Amino acid sequence: MLAKVIDWLDERAAIKKLWHEAADEHIPGGARPRYVFGSVLMFLFMQQVVLGILLASYYSPSATDAWASTAYISDQVTAGWFLRGLHHHGSSAMVIVTVLHFFQVTLAGAYRKPRELNWLTGLIMAALVLGFALTGYLLPWDQKGYWATQVATSIMGSMPAGDVQQRLLQGGSQYGNLTITRFFALHVFVLPLALAGLLGAHLALFRKHGVTPPVMPQAELDRRMDRFFPKQLFIDLVAMAITSAALVFVTFSTHGSELFAPAQPASNFVARPEWYFLFLFQLLKYFHGPLQIIATVIIPGAAATFLVLLPWLDKAESRHAKDRLPVLLGVGTLMAGVVALTGLAMAEDKANEKYQKDLIVAHKEAEYARELAKKGVLPQGGDAVFENDPMVGAKRVFKENCSSCHAIDGIGGAEAPDFGDYNSRAWLTAFVRNPESSRFFGGTKHKDEMDAYPPNEVSDAQLSEVVEYLLSISGVPPQDLDAALAQKGSATFSNPLNCADCHEIVPGKGGSSPNLAGRGSVEWISSMIKDSGQAHLFGDDAKMPKFGAKLSADEIGRLAQLIYNQQPYAAPSPSVASAH
Amino acid sequence: MTLDAVKKVLARETTACLDSRAMPKDKGHPVDDEGRRFLLKVGVHSLGAGVAAVTAGPALAYLAYPLSHDTTTGAHGFITVGRAERFKEGVPLKVDLLSDKMDAWNRIESVKIGSAWIVRTGAKLVAYSTVCPHLGCAIDFDGPANKFKCPCHRSAFGQNGQIEEGPSPRHMDELEVKEAGGLLAIRYQRFKQGVSDKQIV
Repeated sequence: MLAKVIDWLDERAAIKKLWHEAADEHIPGGARPRYVFGSVLMFLFMQQVVLGILLASYYSPSATDAWASTAYISDQVTAGWFLRGLHHHGSSAMVIVTVLHFFQVTLAGAYRKPRELNWLTGLIMAALVLGFALTGYLLPWDQKGYWATQVATSIMGSMPAGDVQQRLLQGGSQYGNLTITRFFALHVFVLPLALAGLLGAHLALFRKHGVTPPVMPQAELDRRMDRFFPKQLFIDLVAMAITSAALVFVTFSTHGSELFAPAQPASNFVARPEWYFLFLFQLLKYFHGPLQIIATVIIPGAAATFLVLLPWLDKAESRHAKDRLPVLLGVGTLMAGVVALTGLAMAEDKANEKYQKDLIVAHKEAEYARELAKKGVLPQGGDAVFENDPMVGAKRVFKENCSSCHAIDGIGGAEAPDFGDYNSRAWLTAFVRNPESSRFFGGTKHKDEMDAYPPNEVSDAQLSEVVEYLLSISGVPPQDLDAALAQKGSATFSNPLNCADCHEIVPGKGGSSPNLAGRGSVEWISSMIKDSGQAHLFGDDAKMPKFGAKLSADEIGRLAQLIYNQQPYAAPSPSVASAH
Repeated sequence: MTLDAVKKVLARETTACLDSRAMPKDKGHPVDDEGRRFLLKVGVHSLGAGVAAVTAGPALAYLAYPLSHDTTTGAHGFITVGRAERFKEGVPLKVDLLSDKMDAWNRIESVKIGSAWIVRTGAKLVAYSTVCPHLGCAIDFDGPANKFKCPCHRSAFGQNGQIEEGPSPRHMDELEVKEAGGLLAIRYQRFKQGVSDKQIV
């Protein structure tokens, strides 16, 4: 059946001839593992195209959608993290195999006449591979891509007539929707088409001139002759399978590609380019001001010129490596420089404590943002993901309902207690010392209800005992509670401070002043917000409006959590909202 | 080595090759290596399939994600439309149904997902979808005629939602309502158009 279909097709499209042209290609000297790199690059390119199309079926290239859609791919769509990881690490693989291919070609002298055009098309394709990396880096619109690409476009802007180029590439004077649409168009249309065209030319030239065989007599080459199919193709496929396995391994061990928090133009970020650009990044550190052009244009330009001119600089009689020592030495020096600079950049970052700390913060923020994104991101943009943080919503509710009297983070009215550092030892100590201060009840109608305890009446030692006791009976006793001190405080509480005259400590019992048992927990704060006139709270003396009818239970709960989070004993909240 | 010498070697080698490895036409394809060639071919095909499967396998699950997950969702629960007392007997009132909507990675707050007509009969409140069961136009209320009328194909319904004239295959679609704490809430659903029975879509 299959044979019939093939025959039918062959009669019309001569597919057998096509196949034989490809499969029967002669390989003088025989099939060899060292010929695999070109094939592996083709495989990687095709895989990148397929993966790119798959990603594009969920990705949305706009400044408002890019991050959220990337987070959707990474954290929600089945296998999205894996495919995105393969695409991300696939770009690294392309760079590595390109370098290996470059070494093989250089060592074999395959750039020499008559293969100069193979060499030049190859060099341009290598540049395109880097272009893919540069444009692709920005597309997730996360902090890393955003800030690292800023560096690249700023370098462009610093070159002669760079302003115009930068503006054209960015689609304006700043990053925005047009930057992402342009980078997207370059990454998924312009560069792939250019690469595919050059690849066609490169392959046609390769077929014309054949492989560059080892240096041996023609007879020997002929005797060992193989055809492309099946032996060389088999070796190529083994190499592809090894590459593929390595990619899968790296993708699994890194859990796919990282995705930092959404781009925040107003923030700062420890921007680093992808590892294969680190040498350029390092070079920039050595040339400042007017000399910067040495690092951005002159050195890379000279290196590129050297490579382009290699076929003409090489005047050796034969392809023997020993005849081409100067050329090989030049290429070797260049690569050694790249490796050294990359190593330096990595070593400096490793030794840079600030960078390492910032990186940890960035990873935490990324993790939190991605968790929030699972609830859906508001259409305002990736950064709006933090609106999903319950504490951000709570802060808004606090601002609308509470901040005319209470303060948090030093912002808000002074008519009622300030919640900054709420329920800490320092806060409680200051409270008991002087409840009439404007930090506490000074601005409220409760002002004269509780007396101050000046140092001449109550010593610092007594006060710290009482504070420890108050914490021990609160709803959230701290982990480092000093039980012995609290024990002492339970006596001091009644005498000489006479707190028990007004405050009950039996849970739930009403009194003339708030019951101090269970104080400070989220439930207790919620209950206070709902109705401070409950018997165990302020009773009939309550002055604060009752919010139970005005706010939903959900809103009150989040408000309570917000106030609770101000205290130093609170379990560290995953919230990074306070950083915004 | 001179050119002539090379030619000689070449000629000799080729002959030797042809003789010893029995390759009358097909240089490089030693006939006696058929077994090895077969193994290589099997290797080529299985490695090729394996390498492709690394992407193709997960890709299928990836592309099929919308088959097993709700990628766009509106409100599944009841949507509050206001205090029940604002709806007066004899005067149908149209309300917009606002809800948060999920669209893949986006959460959109308070978007209008539909409308409903509320009709009061004594203490009872009934809600009808404004979507005409015929072909989905938005049904209006004609006050002077005291009828619901579809502007597209002249279907007309009474205040009780019963079809009175026109091509609509069924009565107006009633929506589930709930009253709690004096507030009226509606569960919004859409139904298949152009059929005589009410099927949720």
